[in-house]
Amino acid sequence: MNTILGLGFIMFVGLLSAKLIKKIKLPSVTAYLLLGIVIGPPLLRFVPEEVLGASGLISNIVLGIIAFGIGQNFSRYHLRRIGRSVLWISVLEACGAWVLVTSIFYLLLRQPFYLSLLFGSIASATAPAATVMVIREYRAKGNFTDTLLGVVAIDDAWCLIIFAISLAISQAIYAHTVATSFLVQVFLKSLLSIFGAFVLGAFSAFLLSIFYRFMRTPTDLLILTMGIVFLNIGIAIWLHLSVLLSSMFLGTVLVNINRYSFKLFDSLKTIDSPLFLLFFVLAGANLEINIIGSIGILGLAYLIFRVAGKMFGASLGARISNAPTSVRKYLGYGLIPQAGVALGCALVAKSDFPQVGNMIFTTIVATTVVYELIGPLCTKYALRKAEDIITH
Amino acid sequence: MRVKEIMSKEVISVKRSMKLKELLRIFRNFHIFPLVPVVEENGRLAGIVSFRNLIDALQSYHPNMLKLVPFLDEEEQNIFKIDVSEDIGDLVVVEDIMEYEYMSVLDDSSLEEAYNQMKLCLKEEFPVVDKSGRLIGRIGIFDILQVVFRQKGIIK
Repeated sequence: MNTILGLGFIMFVGLLSAKLIKKIKLPSVTAYLLLGIVIGPPLLRFVPEEVLGASGLISNIVLGIIAFGIGQNFSRYHLRRIGRSVLWISVLEACGAWVLVTSIFYLLLRQPFYLSLLFGSIASATAPAATVMVIREYRAKGNFTDTLLGVVAIDDAWCLIIFAISLAISQAIYAHTVATSFLVQVFLKSLLSIFGAFVLGAFSAFLLSIFYRFMRTPTDLLILTMGIVFLNIGIAIWLHLSVLLSSMFLGTVLVNINRYSFKLFDSLKTIDSPLFLLFFVLAGANLEINIIGSIGILGLAYLIFRVAGKMFGASLGARISNAPTSVRKYLGYGLIPQAGVALGCALVAKSDFPQVGNMIFTTIVATTVVYELIGPLCTKYALRKAEDIITH
Repeated sequence: MRVKEIMSKEVISVKRSMKLKELLRIFRNFHIFPLVPVVEENGRLAGIVSFRNLIDALQSYHPNMLKLVPFLDEEEQNIFKIDVSEDIGDLVVVEDIMEYEYMSVLDDSSLEEAYNQMKLCLKEEFPVVDKSGRLIGRIGIFDILQVVFRQKGIIK
């Protein structure tokens, strides 16, 4: 199969599979991922080598675009509107999963610290698609639903920050395991990486904002936005800075300096869907089925303690912010699915840590499939318990 | 020529607290797709509401909240089959469905600037605000075209 035929096949069958999976009330991302596993190298081998080889390129572009959009969460206006409960719960559920998974992997499973930290940081992500689908299906309404939606909407922003910090620390530990001035180097490298990403993102945002004034058509706007986002990603890769952080800072600075920035974000949304489809299918196709057996206990621990960390963190956040009892008791059940951002982070880990990357990536893909399947059931349970599902 | 010289000063605007029922009554008077400004008590422009937002009123949650979420499936909603209670006419208010991200033009902008913004955003009408953000009028693409036709001597 040639490359273009392969791409066409992935898009066409991807669309059909998404329509099909909606019949059983699951989100498109699950369909894309499962399709990738089925048509990927371990099973049907329908994905051409050239397309598989472009996985890194496509994930960097998709991650850059996602992080750029997520940056909007940090507009002054949005942060003012978000509310105390959502802020506390979202920060603590993300940190809860991060800390618990890292601790269990390091202390109980005796994994290297950098690896534990990577798993912990990926665990902080939550995928909103499945949760939102259940809310829509049952027309759930109430305080609990509002809080849940608010938390899943901002969660990925915290995950990107947590992952970027953890990645910088893990890279420093990985590269300097025997250095004497170890801690100082780790700290400086992390700080430099984050500061560099901020400077790059801010510079790109100012550039985008300046050139926006000279654009005359929606096409100009799309090309300008795409061009600057790509430049930002490319420079981040070139300077060994975090693509995720620099893109997120680009979005954050832009939304705070340009009143009409929403036009720029909206313009990218017109072309991102086929890229997202490709990203998920390729994530599934890159799954190495032969090492699933070897992830056993790690995968199981990840599955259990990520959820436990999220539930504990969400409950603590709800307690601190004096949220209603239903939020305190059941919100964690709505935070189980993981997908896009977790897979993206796993792909970054895969390319940055070649020795353990495949194991991290395969664990995340396999657990994503499990979470995406059980997530909707748990969300439904939580909405019922919170009495936010309207029964006729 | 400046926007303030040709804008219409009569603007139908609504308050955040207006009920859906009353909003629908206002929309009934329009022949074309309207873009109704939402203003604060002090007259400052706070957002806009259009026919598109009426569809949001039929949903059980606020779509604005999910605008920033990646990988979300668009809702394939059949508005003819939605089961909603009659109460939403009183329960849903403009604030629940209004758009907070909107384009507007300053009264002091040139017609060329206003026209370029309309072209860039594929919109045919903008609310006009003064420097303090207070809504003072509206300008449509036809208002600008009329000026151009007049300048070219096509109409008197």
